Amino acid sequence: MSGEGIVAQLLRTLREFRLRGGNSAIQDELAHNHRHGLFLRARALARSGAFDQAAPLFSQAVDMDPTFDEAWEGWGEALDALGERALALEKYEAARQLRAGLRPGAPDRHFVLRQRGHFTAEILAYDTVVRSLAKNTLPYLARGNAYLATGQAEKALADYERALRLKPGVPEITALKGEALAMLGRYSEALQAFDTALAARPNDAEILGGRAMVRIALGLIEEADADWRRQFGLLQGRPSACACVALRMADYGAALPQLEQALAKEPSDLYWLLYRLTAQRRLGQAVDATNIPVVDAWPGPLLALHAGRTSAAEALKLANTDSRRAEATFQLGILVSVQDHNAARSHWQEIVDRSGPSQIEYAAARHELARPQSSSAL
Amino acid sequence: MFSVILYGRNDSHGYNLHKRAAISFNAIAEVMSDPDDEILFVDYNTPDDHPTFPEAIHDTLTEKAKKVLRIFRVRPEQHYHLKSKTHLVALEAQSRNIALRRSNSNNRWVLYTNTDMLLVPRREDESLSKILGDVPDGFYQIPRFELPEMLWEAAFDRRDPVGNLTKLRDWAVRFHLNQVVHNFMPMKYDALGDFQAALREDMFAIHGFDEDMLLGWHCDSNLAARLALYRGRVDTLIDKVFGYHCDHTRVAAANNKGRATRMNDQNRFIWDVSSPYLPEQADTWGWPGVEIEEIRLDRETSYERFTSGLAAALDPATEPYRSTSLDWHLYSDLSYDIRHTLPFVCDQVLTYPRSTAVMLVATRAEFVSRFAVAWQAMGFTGPILVPTECQRLDTSHPSIKTGAFSELVHMADLFVFEFGLATQNPDEAVRIGRPESPLDKKSLKAVAKLFAAAASEEAETRPNGRRLPRRFIGVNVIYNKFWPLFTDYIGANINPFCSQVLAGIPRQESSLKGKILKFRGRYGV
Repeated sequence: MSGEGIVAQLLRTLREFRLRGGNSAIQDELAHNHRHGLFLRARALARSGAFDQAAPLFSQAVDMDPTFDEAWEGWGEALDALGERALALEKYEAARQLRAGLRPGAPDRHFVLRQRGHFTAEILAYDTVVRSLAKNTLPYLARGNAYLATGQAEKALADYERALRLKPGVPEITALKGEALAMLGRYSEALQAFDTALAARPNDAEILGGRAMVRIALGLIEEADADWRRQFGLLQGRPSACACVALRMADYGAALPQLEQALAKEPSDLYWLLYRLTAQRRLGQAVDATNIPVVDAWPGPLLALHAGRTSAAEALKLANTDSRRAEATFQLGILVSVQDHNAARSHWQEIVDRSGPSQIEYAAARHELARPQSSSAL
Repeated sequence: MFSVILYGRNDSHGYNLHKRAAISFNAIAEVMSDPDDEILFVDYNTPDDHPTFPEAIHDTLTEKAKKVLRIFRVRPEQHYHLKSKTHLVALEAQSRNIALRRSNSNNRWVLYTNTDMLLVPRREDESLSKILGDVPDGFYQIPRFELPEMLWEAAFDRRDPVGNLTKLRDWAVRFHLNQVVHNFMPMKYDALGDFQAALREDMFAIHGFDEDMLLGWHCDSNLAARLALYRGRVDTLIDKVFGYHCDHTRVAAANNKGRATRMNDQNRFIWDVSSPYLPEQADTWGWPGVEIEEIRLDRETSYERFTSGLAAALDPATEPYRSTSLDWHLYSDLSYDIRHTLPFVCDQVLTYPRSTAVMLVATRAEFVSRFAVAWQAMGFTGPILVPTECQRLDTSHPSIKTGAFSELVHMADLFVFEFGLATQNPDEAVRIGRPESPLDKKSLKAVAKLFAAAASEEAETRPNGRRLPRRFIGVNVIYNKFWPLFTDYIGANINPFCSQVLAGIPRQESSLKGKILKFRGRYGV
């Protein structure tokens, strides 16, 4: 090996050492041979200019999780820098298609809870910022949000609490702490956080929605409705958000016109169509089952259920997550409510027993169950 | 598909602004392909007697740029309430929000950039409209690449955007221009303010830019922090488009004083941001209740208005030239050629709002009637206020409103004082030693008295809500006995005799002479 080759080898080893040893987060992740670990290492290599080494690691991360949009994008960036333009564009496109396919969370919820994705790159980026700006709130807040959006409520809570230690009493951060606590099922503490936040921001629709959700989880239906009614008023002009609020209260009369507007604005969103069918049936209105589109992707099976093209068992079988099962069960309740109210109640009770309060169907089911037995149409 | 939002004013912000801006306007227009696309330029706080910045450089813009460009003019009077809070003369957050409020609601995207950027799609056959149309919802940035001053200044042709983009693609490789500068999150790249693409809907949801940011700098980072919170991530379009910045460091811009630069608090506006929303400005951002003039370069241009006004008021000359004279012995001869002077008077008023109420105090009936015709034909909708103290004038034109000076002075936004000879006929030769008749003297005395009163009491007689001094235009006040009177009261420049017109705002004299003048004007002494 020439002198130049030895120097190059040494530099490369030093870089590897620095990348492995200088960042405990990377080291922890690598120890678990996790796809995120691969991503973190690939990203660090790419930042240090070693695109040729980064590209295969991004590729491995994608192999382990084909929905890992950030790894697709990182792979694209590495290939782009290596001059592999055509291949790079494929990877970028894959990342964008994955992102385009993610349906945001319910539009009446806190903006963080509407976000969907892995957010690994964000967590990594804010890890770095936190080390440089330990006395500012934004890095903790942003990283906490990334954790919360990916369901890592414990970590999110820790970041929000750090942020609140730096800036005590900031209502927006207090509200996020409430959301994290709610996600952890610590409803009483969450309620306290929301109360504090709302004292400072009484007209914040997102905080009201968060408190309503916690209140319904605690069985405080009237109090929850008071928040939702205020939220509904504050969200005027945003039909999809209003529709969700009204659906949570099982107020189908209020929901229906909002759903019509939401559909006009976002005609490709099948949920607005599904919920319109829900509202129409529950209001006793005629439903034109012949015009319900045939769609394979979820919630297509629930539309097929309304159209009479599929059975309850088949719809439940296709509901492959807890939240989809709750959605399917709720629709079963709606469909049988006219003929057999007790059967409907049994479906709704199942949702209350098995799903979480953040779901529209949970709150709607609680309202249905709270209604007098004789009340079938609303 | 998208609205590009830019701001500036008709001044000299940094080196060779006019060329940079023309290059940029034209290049941005060139990558637009959707009929709803638009470039919104907020012309912030350009003096009322100046045209807006894009109007000043319109001849260097392509037809396409003129077609997509909408100019929103924020007048100095509209900026006044912020004047004491900032050292800056143009405010970024206010400007960008004013444009956002008035942007085309059909557009999905808003793109924030500046008037020295060229955006180069990496695929030559792809427009920015197509690129933005194809990408999912998000908040997108791109890295900014620097373009040495020599390259854009020496090699770019302002009106050849296609050629300029081609050159850039070549230079990028030959001169190693493309260096990505990564940044701390949420600023994905350095100089992020030169390309931030956000959903229009998102910008409305978060209440636009933070209008508390009055000291300059970091508006882009604040937006990035808030949109990064709102969206959860900052996306890149580096695979689709490169952005090149026409470097302008030879001369520091007005808001760049090196280490002494005053700027917005980074902690408050970036590192301690806790919410994307700005509830305190939810109902006021972008000044929704304020009427902002919109100007186009592809229709009803200033030139078209100017020529319409003069065409209506004047017949073309029938002789190759007419004469006047500066001979000393003619100093007291107040005869002048209205047809030659009127274009210079119209030039003084053209840039004012169309709703302007102008007070016209004159001696010559011909001046009043011609001015009224031109005023209306230039598209002004405000009244011409003629005091009844001015006698023997034709006030039948529908734009003219008459009344006592003491009443009208409270309604005027602008003053024109004409010092001519009431008895001069239109076809008389000028400056040949014409004496003043008793009627001329009487008329001139009345005008001079009203002028002194208006100038000395200007501050006390402003219309309700108006806070800035009003402009006075003096007609036939150069090299004659009314020059000293006019310039005693008005801070006017020295203008060529040929233009016949001086203009300015009342002097703020604290000297004894100034106090005496004010006293004399106020009490008609």
